[in-house]
Amino acid sequence: MKFIVSSSYLQKHLQLLGGVINNNNTLPILDNFLLELTGSELKVSASDMETTIVSKLEVESEDDGSIALPAKLLLDTLKTFPEQPLTFHAVGTMITVSHDKGKSEIACAAAEEFPKAVTISEPSSTTIMGDTLATAVNKTIFAAGNDDLRPVMSGVFFQFTSDSLTFVATDAHKLVRYKREDIAASETAEFIMPKKPLNLLKAMLQGSESEVLVEYNDSNAQFSFDGTTIICRLIDGKYPNYEAVIPKENPNKLTISRTQLLNSVRRVSIFSNKTTHQIRLKMAGAELNISAEDLDYSNKADERLTCDYQGDDMQIGFNSRFLIEMLNNLTCDDVSLEMSLPNRAGILTPVDGLDEGENVTMLVMPVMLNQ
Amino acid sequence: MHELADRKIIHVDMDAFYASVEQYDNPELRGKPIAVGGGSDRGVVAAASYEARKYGVRSAMPSVTAKRLCPDLIFVKHRFDRYREVSTQIREIFHDYTDLVEPLSLDEAYLDVTENKYNFPSATIIAYEIRRRIYEVTGITASAGISVNKFIAKIASDYNKPNGQKTIVPEEIIPFLEELDIRKFYGIGKVTAEKMYQHGIFTGNDLKRKSLEFLVEHFGKSGGHYYKIVRGIHKSPVKANRIRKSLGAERTFSENISSEVFMKERLVQIAEEIEKRIAKSDVAGKTITLKIKYRDFKTQTRSKTMPYYIRDKETILSTAVDLLEQESFRESVRLLGITLSNLNTSKIEEEDEDENDIVEVQLGFGF
Repeated sequence: MKFIVSSSYLQKHLQLLGGVINNNNTLPILDNFLLELTGSELKVSASDMETTIVSKLEVESEDDGSIALPAKLLLDTLKTFPEQPLTFHAVGTMITVSHDKGKSEIACAAAEEFPKAVTISEPSSTTIMGDTLATAVNKTIFAAGNDDLRPVMSGVFFQFTSDSLTFVATDAHKLVRYKREDIAASETAEFIMPKKPLNLLKAMLQGSESEVLVEYNDSNAQFSFDGTTIICRLIDGKYPNYEAVIPKENPNKLTISRTQLLNSVRRVSIFSNKTTHQIRLKMAGAELNISAEDLDYSNKADERLTCDYQGDDMQIGFNSRFLIEMLNNLTCDDVSLEMSLPNRAGILTPVDGLDEGENVTMLVMPVMLNQ
Repeated sequence: MHELADRKIIHVDMDAFYASVEQYDNPELRGKPIAVGGGSDRGVVAAASYEARKYGVRSAMPSVTAKRLCPDLIFVKHRFDRYREVSTQIREIFHDYTDLVEPLSLDEAYLDVTENKYNFPSATIIAYEIRRRIYEVTGITASAGISVNKFIAKIASDYNKPNGQKTIVPEEIIPFLEELDIRKFYGIGKVTAEKMYQHGIFTGNDLKRKSLEFLVEHFGKSGGHYYKIVRGIHKSPVKANRIRKSLGAERTFSENISSEVFMKERLVQIAEEIEKRIAKSDVAGKTITLKIKYRDFKTQTRSKTMPYYIRDKETILSTAVDLLEQESFRESVRLLGITLSNLNTSKIEEEDEDENDIVEVQLGFGF
C-alpha cells in the first residue's frame, strides 16, 4: 500500500481527528489512526469508543489497503515538516514515510484490531447549516455541568420538533436555551449529546456553510458533512424538565449595555467572596448599583450604572462568574435581565443582534445569604 | 418534639454574690445596704446588696456616687479568697448534676443538663434543687434561668431575680423573644441598641421583621447572630473549659496623675503584673490595649495589634508607652490599665463558633 499526500493538508485534518483520542487509553489500539485506502480516497478514523470521527482525504494513489498508525508519533512528525509531498509506503505492519530530507519508519498495528464504528440502524434525520450548529453548541455548552453523578446535565439537550430546533444546557445553577424557529426536523426527537463530539463539531463547523446531515436513534447520533462523519453514543437518561424552571411572571425588567454591565461585574467581582463569588445588584429608579463584599475580610466595592429599569426596587445576589460567562457569550449591544424575587431565577436575554427565528434565553439562580 | 427543644440549659446566677457572702459571714450586716469595695473617695463599688440596690447603687459605680445615693451605705472590704472558696463549693454542687459546666465568673455559670447524672427529665426541678442546695451549703440565694440554649437561659435568670427562677419552654420562646426589649438581648449593648432604634427596631418582633440581608448590611457579621437569636437559635455549646479571651491589669491611683513621667512609672508596675499573669496562664497575645480613665470618669482605650504573638514585659510596656504618648491629656488621670487580647488560645474558640458564620448559598433549579 502506497500513497502520496501534502504534509500540511494531512496535518490539518489529522489535528482535528486527534482531538478524539484520549491521553491514556485502556485499549492501546485506540492510540492509533485507522487508515483505509481505496484508490485516491484515504479514510482516516479516530475513536475513543464513545465517539468516532472519520474523514475522507484525497491522496495520490492507485493502491488499496488498510493499517493502524500510532497517532501521536505521526502528529509529532507532521508538525516539524515544511509544506511538501510525503510518500507513505506500508509493507506488512511497517510504514515508511519518505520526505525531502530522508525517511522515518513507524511500526503499526493491523487494521483489523481497530474497533468497528457503530452503524446507526433506522435513523431519523434532519439537516442543519454547519455554522448554525456551531453557534448552537457555542451558545449552550459552557452552561453544561461537570458532575459525574449527574451525567444527563454534562451534555447538551437537543430537542427537535416539526417547527423548531432547541438546544439546552444546564448545571442546575445556570441554564441556556438556544432556539431556532427558522429550522425544523421532520420528526420530533430528543437526545442528550456529550460535550466531546460537540466541541469537535464546534471547531470544525465555525463559519461553515455546508449542510450537516444529523441522523439519530435512541442510542447514537451521527453528523455528516464535507467528507467527515462524527458518530457518538448519546448520554443515557432523562433530561430535567427545564421548561418548568423558567419563571413566567417577571415584573422587574432591567435593560442595560452589555459591555458596561460586563465590565462593572468584572471589576466588582474581584471583591466578592472567593467561594460564592456573590455580587449584589440593587435596582432603584433608573439606577443599578453593583456591589460585592467579602465578609471574611473587609474588602468591598460598589459601582453605579444608569440603566432602564421597570419594576419594584429590589436587591438580588448572583454568582459573578456565571454572569461574566453569560454576558461574555452574548454578542449583542444591550441585554435585558428580568427578575421576580431575590430567590427566583433571573432571565438574561439579548435585546438586539439576533437572526430571524433565533432565540436565546439564559437563566441564572441567585446566591442568597443563609445560615 | 419542638424543633428548638434539643437541649436543656440552666443559667445559674448568684444574687449579689460578694455582698451576700459578706452578709452571711457577718450577721450584723444582714438586712442593711452594703457595698463591697473601697469606701475611700476613690473607690468603686464591686457589688451591692439588694438593700443598697434599692437606692440605685450599682456595681462599678464610684463609691462617692454610691454614698450620695445611699448615705447609710456600709462599705466592706472585699475578700476575694473567701468568694473563691464559696464559688468552689457552688461548683461542686453543679458537678453533682453534670460535668458540662461553663463558669462565666465566680458567681455565674451555664449548665447543660440535657443528660445529667441523676437522669432527671426536668431541668426546672434540677434548677430548683441546685438553688436549694446552694442555699443550704453557703447560705446564699441564687437565681436560675432554664431553657433550650445559653442565650435564652441567661435572659430568663434575670426574670425572677432575686431568689427565683424562670423556665422558658420551647413553645414560649418565640412569643417571649418577640416581646422582649431589644436591649435585653444578650450581645446587644448600648451602641448596637441605639443603631437598632434608628432602624425602628425596639422589640424582638421588630428585629424579626428584618431580613438577614438587611441585618448583615447594617450590622456586619453580628447581623447573622441577631437574625438567629431572635428566632431562638443559639447553638453555642456549654464549654466545660472556658477559654480565656484577654488578660489584663489596671491600677486606680490614690491621687490623679497629670504627668506622663509618673504615668510611665505606673505602666511599668502594671506591665510587671501582666507578666506574672501571662506566666501563670501560659498565653501570648497580639493586641495590646491601653485603658485610660480620666478624672471625670470618661474612659478611653487605645490599642495596637502586632503581626505576631507577644508575651514579654518589654514589648508590652514599650507598646503601652507608645500608646500613652499618642494621647493628648486634657484632664488628669485616675486609672491606667493594660490588656493583652487576641490571645493564642482564641483560635480554638473561633473554630467552635464557626457555625455562627453567615454563608452565602448558591440556589439551584431543584433538579
